[in-house]
Amino acid sequence: MKRWLANRTLRRSVALLALLALWEACSQIGWLNPFYAPPPSAVAKVLYSIFADGEIWPHLEATFSAAIIGLIAGLVLGIVLGFAAALVPLLAELLEPVMMLLNAIPRVILAPLFVIWLGIDLASKVALALILVAVLIFFAVYSGIKEVDARLVERVRTLGGGRRVLIREVYVPSVTAWVMGTLKVAVGFAFTGAVVGEFVASSRGLGYLLQFAQSTYNASLTIALILLIMAFVLVLFALSERLERRLLRWRYM
Amino acid sequence: MIRVQDLTLGFGGEPILENIDLEVKAGQFVSLIGPSGSGKTSILRAVTALLRPQSGRVERDVELNQIGFLFQDDALLPWRTARQNVSLGLRIRGMAVRQAEAKAEQWLALLDLEGFGERYPRQLSGGQRKRVAIAQVLALEPRLLLMDEPFASLDAIVRTRITQELLSWVEREHLTVLLVTHDLEEAISVSDVVYVLSQGPRARIQARHEVHIARPRNVLETRRHPVFGPLLRRLWDELSGEAVQVDYAL
Repeated sequence: MKRWLANRTLRRSVALLALLALWEACSQIGWLNPFYAPPPSAVAKVLYSIFADGEIWPHLEATFSAAIIGLIAGLVLGIVLGFAAALVPLLAELLEPVMMLLNAIPRVILAPLFVIWLGIDLASKVALALILVAVLIFFAVYSGIKEVDARLVERVRTLGGGRRVLIREVYVPSVTAWVMGTLKVAVGFAFTGAVVGEFVASSRGLGYLLQFAQSTYNASLTIALILLIMAFVLVLFALSERLERRLLRWRYM
Repeated sequence: MIRVQDLTLGFGGEPILENIDLEVKAGQFVSLIGPSGSGKTSILRAVTALLRPQSGRVERDVELNQIGFLFQDDALLPWRTARQNVSLGLRIRGMAVRQAEAKAEQWLALLDLEGFGERYPRQLSGGQRKRVAIAQVLALEPRLLLMDEPFASLDAIVRTRITQELLSWVEREHLTVLLVTHDLEEAISVSDVVYVLSQGPRARIQARHEVHIARPRNVLETRRHPVFGPLLRRLWDELSGEAVQVDYAL
C-alpha cells in the first residue's frame, strides 16, 4: 500500500481511473443525463469508431498540418523579428508597438479576417497559428537579448570577440534558453490557432468536427475530440521537453 | 607599459574620478586600492577602452588583444564546457577548434583541472570556476593582465592558493599586472607598487607606495617581512581617514 502511494505516476493514474469509474457509475445509476454528460464508455466507443472507420484521419491531418506549419513558421518569424528588433533600434521602434498591440488583444479574433483574406482552406488556419506563436516568440527573443547577462558580453569582448562572435556565443544560446522555456506554450498556441481557425470556417479538421458535434448536440463526440486534442498536445509537450533537455543540457547536468 | 595621465572619468554627471596619474612599468605588479565607489574598476575599463574618458589620456604599449582581463565574477559561458570556455579566446583569435581545445586541455591541466574539461560551469565549485577563468585568460598569453578583485568571492584557503599560483606564473613569465583590490594585505604581498585612491566622487590618487620585498614571493611569507606591517598600517590609516571623512560627511 505504502509502495504505490510513493509512486506519483501510479497515484495520479489511480486517481484518474477512480474519477472515470465514479463518472461511469453516476451515469449508469442515472444521476447524470447522458445527453449532457455521456459516460466514459460512450466517449470511448465514439473514439474507437472514428478511428476504426478511418473518418478521423483527414481531420487529424488538416489540424496537425496547420498547427505544425504555423508553429514552425511562427518560431522562425518570431526569432527573426525578435533578433532584428533587438539589434536594430529603428526596427524596434516600428515593431514593438505593433507587437504590443497584437499581444494585448485576444489574437483569435483575427480568425474571421484571415478567412476573408485567405479562404477556408489550410492557409487561414496556418496564419492564425503563426500569429499566435510569432508574437509569443518575438517577446521571448526580444526580452532574451535585452536581458542577456552583461558580464558575459563584456567577457567575450575582452577576449576579442566582435558582433558576430557575441551573437554566436552569447545571444543565440541565451535566447535559445528563453525560446525553449516558451516552446510548450507555443505548441499549445499553435493548436489553439489551428482548431479555432477550423471552428470559424473550414471543411476539415478537428475544429470543424467540434463545430459539427456542437451543432448536432453530440456531447460524446465533443468530449472525444477534446480528449484527442489534449492527448496530442501532451505528446507534443513531452517532445518539446525532450528537445529542451537536449538543447539546454548544460542546465540539467 | 601603461601610463594614465590626468584622467577624468564619469557617466555624464559629476566625475567619479579626476586628475588620475598612474604608471605601470613593464614587468611590474601594481595594485590599486581604495574605498568602495572610488572608481577603481572604471580605471581598468578605461585601460581596455571599454570606457571612454571625459578627459586625459591612457597610453599603453600593448594592443588590446595582448591584454588579459580577469573579472570579479568568473563570467564563464554557462552553455559551454570548461574546455570550450578556455578555448573561446583562442578560437576568436583564429586558432583551429581542435588545436584550441588541445591547448585549453593543457591549460586546465596546468591549473589542476585535468579531467574537468567536459564539465559545465554549474558542475564546478567556485574555486574551480575561477581556475577555468584564469586558464581562459592565460591561454591567450597576454603581456598585460588586468584583474578586478578576481578572488573576492573565494574562501580564504582557496583564495591564498590561487593567488600564489597566479603570482608564481606572473613572476615566471614577467607579466605586467594591474590589480584592483579591497584587500590591503593581498595588495602588499603581491605588488611592487600600491596606489591608494581617495573616496569618490571626484576620487584622486592620494598616495603611491613602493613595496620593497624581493621576488619570487610567497604570499604567506611576505606577511612576516619587516616592510609588511608598517606599510599595512600606513595604507590602513590612509583608507580609514577617507572612511572617517565620509562618515562625517554623512
